[in-house]
Amino acid sequence: MHGQCGLFFTSYAREAQIFQSRFQKTAMALFFAALVGVVPFLNTYHVSVLCLINIAVVGAVALNILTGRCGQISLGHGAFLGVGAYASAALTGMGLPFVLAMPAAGLVTACVGMIFGLPSLRLKGIYLAIATLAAQLILEYVFLHLDAVTGGSNGLSVDPPSIAGFAFDSDLKMFYLTLGVATLAVLGAANLMRTRPGRAFTAIRDHYLSAEIVGVNLFAWKLAAFGMSSFLAGVAGSLWAHYTMYITPEQFNIGLSVGYLAMIIIGGMGSVLGSVFGAVFLTLLPEAINFAAQHAGQTFAGVADYLLAMKAGVFGLVLVLFLIFEPEGLARRWRLIKAYWKLYPFAY
Amino acid sequence: MKRIVTAFALCLAALCLSVAAMAQDEIRLGVLSDLTGPTGDVGVPYAEGIKDAAAYLNGQGGVAGKKIALVQVDYAYNAQQALSAYKKFIAQDKIVALLGWGTQDTEALTKFVGKDEIPTISASYSAHLTDPKSAPYNFFIAADYSTQMRAALKFFKDRWKEGRAPKVAFVYPDAPYGLAPIPAGKAYATELGYEVVGEENVGLKAMDATAELLRLQKLEPDYTWIGGTTQSTAVIMKDAQKLGMKTVFFTNIWGSDENLVKLAGNAAEGSYSLQAAVIYGQDVPGMKIIEKQTGGKPQMTHYIRGFASMLVMAEGIRKAAAAGEITGPAIKTALESLRDYDPMGLTPAISFFPDDHRPNMAVFLYKIEGGKLTPAGTETLERKAEWLGK
Repeated sequence: MHGQCGLFFTSYAREAQIFQSRFQKTAMALFFAALVGVVPFLNTYHVSVLCLINIAVVGAVALNILTGRCGQISLGHGAFLGVGAYASAALTGMGLPFVLAMPAAGLVTACVGMIFGLPSLRLKGIYLAIATLAAQLILEYVFLHLDAVTGGSNGLSVDPPSIAGFAFDSDLKMFYLTLGVATLAVLGAANLMRTRPGRAFTAIRDHYLSAEIVGVNLFAWKLAAFGMSSFLAGVAGSLWAHYTMYITPEQFNIGLSVGYLAMIIIGGMGSVLGSVFGAVFLTLLPEAINFAAQHAGQTFAGVADYLLAMKAGVFGLVLVLFLIFEPEGLARRWRLIKAYWKLYPFAY
Repeated sequence: MKRIVTAFALCLAALCLSVAAMAQDEIRLGVLSDLTGPTGDVGVPYAEGIKDAAAYLNGQGGVAGKKIALVQVDYAYNAQQALSAYKKFIAQDKIVALLGWGTQDTEALTKFVGKDEIPTISASYSAHLTDPKSAPYNFFIAADYSTQMRAALKFFKDRWKEGRAPKVAFVYPDAPYGLAPIPAGKAYATELGYEVVGEENVGLKAMDATAELLRLQKLEPDYTWIGGTTQSTAVIMKDAQKLGMKTVFFTNIWGSDENLVKLAGNAAEGSYSLQAAVIYGQDVPGMKIIEKQTGGKPQMTHYIRGFASMLVMAEGIRKAAAAGEITGPAIKTALESLRDYDPMGLTPAISFFPDDHRPNMAVFLYKIEGGKLTPAGTETLERKAEWLGK
């Protein structure tokens, strides 16, 4: 019984594998088995937080393709989620089954995203940020005033998703659905990153001029990044709409866009795993603060109010601290932890 | 080591005790508040009102012999946090009813409270929440935004002396909350014989409204509706004063309160504020209790509305307990059987019906005179079926 020391590849295909070692595959399988097996025994609060995490994972992975990997900043991500939510609500409202409506909503969002991605050919950095901010504002206006489709200020009531007569009408059922979609999104994105599109995106992000010289069509690939990212954002929006069952324009405001940007910064720009970490971290942060405030309040009266008042501040502080001390996000921290344990106890 | 073990054991014991205390017979209610978000300035007094009312009721021996236990979560006006807070209420805190807050949480939870059968009293007064067909478990204790506007229009029309038709204009933010009552208001104004001369959008975060008001000034409206928050109302009133605009402003329930005078100074003089609860110090039976509860420290009218919301919820619980058991559906049925319930004079009398969740059709009008909200009258409209939910 001789185990391998480190990873040794004899072909490029082996090196590009998503799960490179048997240990990784086993660990992943165990993780999923635990996730699927344990969740039925949790209460609905915990399950619903897991649902929100799954949805956030899809949204964060989407933004990480565009902003983390391709380097095109987007402040309109929240509104793109909204497009997906409203499109999915409208399509299922017209009688289209959910299995078709969700990808269709993604496609609608992809088209919208590509339209708002057009300026990216000419605009970079802060200028593109402003252009996508315009997308956010325009789309919010459309949500509010396209009464016939969006219900305007009254919002839109949505039914829980049902696939082939099976209604996902409880948190537990929704958890399995969102977990399935999130897994597909994460695997899809990971696959995208290691193939031609991913390499093209990286080239554009790192040096657009060199990318063009080696034959990457900047315009086509930037638009493709907007399209793919918006597609997944639309899917996330669709899940959100069918999970909350009630959507209003206010839910898809600039705050949501900033929240998703924060997720990929905290998780790790350009890393699929980082998007997952970021989504988990930022969804749990307010819950953790609420938990702390509630329990601190029982022992020390008055502390709860201060803790709650600091909530917005904590969000900003965490973001700044990550930018200073861990600019590559939780994904890098994870790699360091893995490296440490790999060599334990003989770290040298 | 021994000390650690002792400390650990003590902690465990404390935990067990607190769990045992929780298990006592009490009525658990969820309170969703915005204490730190964009509506925190009015969310804090409203939540204080709820808490003080519960403390008062518990001091009286509770409701139906049981103490009220409030579980409060600050959701910072974020739909996602409202959703997870609500799930926590249901799964861990086992609440029987919910006291909600704004449009954001109330609408995001409409379907959930219907499914989980959790009666909800919130402070989002959108008319569409009064129709039990679409929002069966939603209640609130103030006339909805549309009814408020209609009542004010009626109030001014009844006091109109000149021969010509009065002219009215609308200023509101291009946001769900601002847009909601506008179609109803315009239709009713025309019906009453007003001339609707114009409308302008001023955002909730606007710093300047001069351009919009210059356009309105040319149309010479006699009355101008302001939908918005106290901050945006103050901006509009100050700019109107600067331009020398002669119009009577009337504002919705969130657009004008005790803070407006601080923000707008004498520009707010002569304007009308539409409210659903009395103001601090007004001579009604409940005020003595509030004065005692707050130690004589003046509170905003939002505090009093929060106080009254809790009283109405408690009345529903009391009736449900009298009829048998305290469950969500029983509280809903009990609330729907309220007929002219008077929350100690703090709001107009409240009735809910199984097919109509409008609490009443009455609006208190306050005029700002000498920097103070002064009662100017109460306007009560007919409970017309065709207005339900619109």
